[in-house]
Amino acid sequence: MKTIDVFYQAEGLGEVKHLEIETDATFAVLKARLAEKHGFGLDILVFLEDEDDSVAELAKIAEHATPQGLKIHLHRLRQVKVTVTFNGKTVERHFGPSATVARVKRWAAEKEFGLSAEEAGEHVLQIEGTHERPSPGTHVGALNGDKVRDVVAFDLVPDERVQGAPRGFA
Amino acid sequence: MKGPDQRAFEADVAKAAFRLGETEGRWRLVGTDWPYAFMAVTAKDDREYALRLDCSGYPQAEPTGGPWDMARNEVLAFDQWPRGQGGRVSAVFRTGWKHGTALYLPCDRESIAGHPNWRQEMPSKIWRPAEGIVQYLEIVHDLLHCRDYVPRSGTAA
Repeated sequence: MKTIDVFYQAEGLGEVKHLEIETDATFAVLKARLAEKHGFGLDILVFLEDEDDSVAELAKIAEHATPQGLKIHLHRLRQVKVTVTFNGKTVERHFGPSATVARVKRWAAEKEFGLSAEEAGEHVLQIEGTHERPSPGTHVGALNGDKVRDVVAFDLVPDERVQGAPRGFA
Repeated sequence: MKGPDQRAFEADVAKAAFRLGETEGRWRLVGTDWPYAFMAVTAKDDREYALRLDCSGYPQAEPTGGPWDMARNEVLAFDQWPRGQGGRVSAVFRTGWKHGTALYLPCDRESIAGHPNWRQEMPSKIWRPAEGIVQYLEIVHDLLHCRDYVPRSGTAA
């Protein structure tokens, strides 16, 4: 039987996970399988990546999959509040937990702070008060560690860049 | 018999984060000849750059490596290296650094040596064993998609 690659993130998981599921499966089947595997409760919701509304559980996975598979998020919350601070100004907005860091950065850098796409490319989102800079494909709902938080706070900072001539140039 | 570093590497490339990058065409594992892993990373002009990464001591030790010519089995000719416009790509893909065998990155084993200042100046690019090879590949992939990268015409490396 043909299968679909499902790449998923979730609250508390900490890293991207993968499973294969039958092409005729519904999201309800997927949810039950992942709930059993990771101990999620029945209140967990399934989101397609970068979609703010949860997906209907009776929908077929194949209807939403691409040839590369499917990327989803599992979370108890329908929304996560995101704040981004840049040059002393803070903006905020609610996103579905499957919103990628890349999407949040585009919103904050280009729409809210008025940077060009090229300027935005020279900046990254850093979790407030840390050196942690999640990769662009990370879901904001996955950034809450082991506890459920409904706020993720970022600073928009220039990307680090190697400077100067190498020492001991060979 | 495989050593613990090779087994750890093989476990990491079997993980979802690495496979997702392969599925999305960001990178792929071309092969291994331990301690070397050959990876191809896709640039924004769809050109693939092969890297030969020495993964001795993985994951506690950082990988080290640079662009590689898979057909000739040697360091990629310098005129075929990724080119920048004097920005972040140029700073990392330095053909004069270590004779082209290492990228000038904090997460590269040969390059972090002698640069203790990088631990304070660029903490997010310091090697993180728990993240493993995906960290190195994501940094290279980002560079090959940033505005400093100069797209090339012609065939892939």
